[in-house]
Amino acid sequence: MDFGSVLSGFEVVFEPQNILYCLIGVTLGMLVGVLPGLGPAATIAILLPITYNIEPTPAVIMLAGIFYGAQYGGTITSVLLRLPGEASTVVTALDGHQMARQGKAGSALGIAAIGSFIGGTASIVLLTFIAPLVADAALEFGPAEYTVLALIGIFLVATLGNGALIKSVAAAGVGLLLATVGLDPLVGTPRFTFGSDQLADGIDFVIVAMGVFGVGEILYNLEHRLRPQPAVLSFGRAIPRRPEWLQSRMAILRGSIVGFVLGVLPGGGATMSSLVAYAVEKRSAKDPSRFGKGAIEGVAGPESANNAAATSSFIPLLTLGIPANATMAVLFGALLLQGIPPGPQLIVDHPDVFWGVVNSMYLGNIILLLLSIPLIGVFVRLLKVRAGILAPLTVLVTMIGVYSIRNNAFDMFLVVGLGILGYGMKKLGFEPGPFVLAFVLGKLLEASFRRSMRLFDGDVLGFFQRPVSAVLVAVLVLTIVVIPVLRMVRNRQASLTPAERKS
Amino acid sequence: MSESYTRRRVLAALAAVSVLPVAACGGVKGGSDDAGSDYPTRAVNFTVPFAAGGSGDLISRAVAKAAEKPLGQSIVIANKPGANGAVGGKEVLASSPDGYNIALAVKSLFAITPLVVEDPTAIQPDKMEIVTTLVQEDYVLVVNAQSPYQTVEDLVKAPSVKYATAGVGTGGQLSQALLFKGAGTKATDVPFDGGAPAVTALLGKQVDALSGSLAETMEHIKAGKLRPLAIFSTERSEFLPEVPTAKEKGYDVVVDQRRFIIAPVGLPEAVSTKLEQAFAEARKDSAYETFLKDNYMERWEVSDEEARQHLKDSAAQFESLAQKFGLTFKS
Repeated sequence: MDFGSVLSGFEVVFEPQNILYCLIGVTLGMLVGVLPGLGPAATIAILLPITYNIEPTPAVIMLAGIFYGAQYGGTITSVLLRLPGEASTVVTALDGHQMARQGKAGSALGIAAIGSFIGGTASIVLLTFIAPLVADAALEFGPAEYTVLALIGIFLVATLGNGALIKSVAAAGVGLLLATVGLDPLVGTPRFTFGSDQLADGIDFVIVAMGVFGVGEILYNLEHRLRPQPAVLSFGRAIPRRPEWLQSRMAILRGSIVGFVLGVLPGGGATMSSLVAYAVEKRSAKDPSRFGKGAIEGVAGPESANNAAATSSFIPLLTLGIPANATMAVLFGALLLQGIPPGPQLIVDHPDVFWGVVNSMYLGNIILLLLSIPLIGVFVRLLKVRAGILAPLTVLVTMIGVYSIRNNAFDMFLVVGLGILGYGMKKLGFEPGPFVLAFVLGKLLEASFRRSMRLFDGDVLGFFQRPVSAVLVAVLVLTIVVIPVLRMVRNRQASLTPAERKS
Repeated sequence: MSESYTRRRVLAALAAVSVLPVAACGGVKGGSDDAGSDYPTRAVNFTVPFAAGGSGDLISRAVAKAAEKPLGQSIVIANKPGANGAVGGKEVLASSPDGYNIALAVKSLFAITPLVVEDPTAIQPDKMEIVTTLVQEDYVLVVNAQSPYQTVEDLVKAPSVKYATAGVGTGGQLSQALLFKGAGTKATDVPFDGGAPAVTALLGKQVDALSGSLAETMEHIKAGKLRPLAIFSTERSEFLPEVPTAKEKGYDVVVDQRRFIIAPVGLPEAVSTKLEQAFAEARKDSAYETFLKDNYMERWEVSDEEARQHLKDSAAQFESLAQKFGLTFKS
């Protein structure tokens, strides 16, 4: 590696205009992250014309800042309002919102910010040293590997819930079904589109999440408006206390690693990373029953993971010219507009852009940490706002956000319909988490499985013949079959003991 | 005090944002009856029926920027993706023909999509005004540089070929299907969710071949990661002069993508003249020229009758070819 260019990248970062654009980018990103529905991809698209008139390096530094800044901001609405704006913050809402209800919103957001900072920074360090290596490994992931990965994800989803397992499975099942709406990914047959173009491309994830979580939650609370609400007296403090820190530091470490590794995978990496990080924490906890009821590790792990993933998702874009997600696709376009084609040649032809952008992320993460700790105190006051004011405003902002995705009014009706579905689910005790995550993974699973079948000429054994997918299948079998069976055996023995004592 | 000030500002900003879509859809009916002689008096809405960041989005932004000056008004781009451009296109064609609503359109929507999706309400080439034609983009057949295939002949002689496409109903899919059917190769089509994932699959050797646009593949060709075997155009591309056309190799497969700007039928004479002039001027812009070069797009600048005829001919030609080879995209 050429350390000279790494260091000169720092010189680029500390040019005053680049510091300024980094600051603008991350602040803007944090703000759009907070606004439900308005995502980084839409924001970057809106700002594309402005970047025409800026030099390439500051332009990309700013746009990149919007992306990872939004990851910090998205947590805030997930925790406070149970409104996840990105697939990767859905699991944060599970324990984060519970913490907020217990008066620990400050701690939840504080540990999320610190976890995000550590996850993001660790990921940049790894990116600097092993980006090209990791990029090549990502290419080993073909349809077969994605199939198994998505399958693991879907099984993990079913274990997320706190209520009856059967209800989680049912919710996940409906989520999988909803994922089939749109043109068939392999042959183009319209499915459940009712002859309308509007549904031809399926339903956007943000619409599903906003509807089922956000609007559904608001409708549900509306019904409970007249009943006395548990007053949230305190918010906790933003700087975590010692026991909280001790509880979450390993979660942050594990989350960062999981996030970095899975974030590199194009398509679904960030979502999978937060999901896997949550599952890892739940499994490794001494008392898994705390999860879903406000476990701080359930916030720390996934938040570190999704920020680490956000950073490592730059690797395929910057080293291979492959956009890993929708936001990266817009950034790809931004680079093209600047006359800098992202690809294997980028680091050679434009080392100043490459290292300038990568190193600017250190600065961006520091700015975000400094911004978010004091801002947490401001944001948690949202909880004090009366529902009569907060709810309509939230719906309004959600509607604008949803409209901004495709500039399409149809999507606004869709979000209302999904909101009613979310309300019904909550009323009947079905959790939205498994539903929404199964929806995301369902698309990946179906398309990847059918692509694999075509590649294997219809032979299912193909999954066992590729090294990476075979290992993943082993992991799947281990976590889904072997561990639960062992646990069941152990439980049975445990339950036998008192019976034996009686006899 | 400062708190209420901020709150008011936020509310004002929200109100402003929420009014925008209404204004955009309403298409304020002009007061004058002299059929748009003073056109344009306000900003023109340019609907890009594709996601931000893609080729369709980028070319729209480039040409719109160049056209603002000759038009004398700003051009506001809104991305309205869905159904290969059908969602945004239909919406604009259904709006009032006053010149304030135009949209980008692509040839594949007229020539290839009908092979895949049955749509009784599909846009017909005769039911739109073509404001200007813009560019042509060729498809190039590529393999991984580490693969043993050096020529098209090598590839079609392979015992079995798995080829990636950017999705169902894309030019990349049609060109490869026609090529392999024509050569009698046992080939399986593996559609991905867009051009980038398809290229990724080929880079990772998950598939054997791919037909993609130059914009998608060129950087990888230059980096020596992908090897171009043939180009599906009538003549060799200026960007890859050493790569033979499929036709030269004996496979009469010509598939390309073309982009143009449409408006609802019934534009007043003065309005359509003004629009045409503005875009003709824009196409001479030097920044636009650089953009085309950087993105490997060739100019396609013909009259609207020629363009309409081209769309109809290609649709008919693809349909008969598909029938001849027994290609079924519809299921």
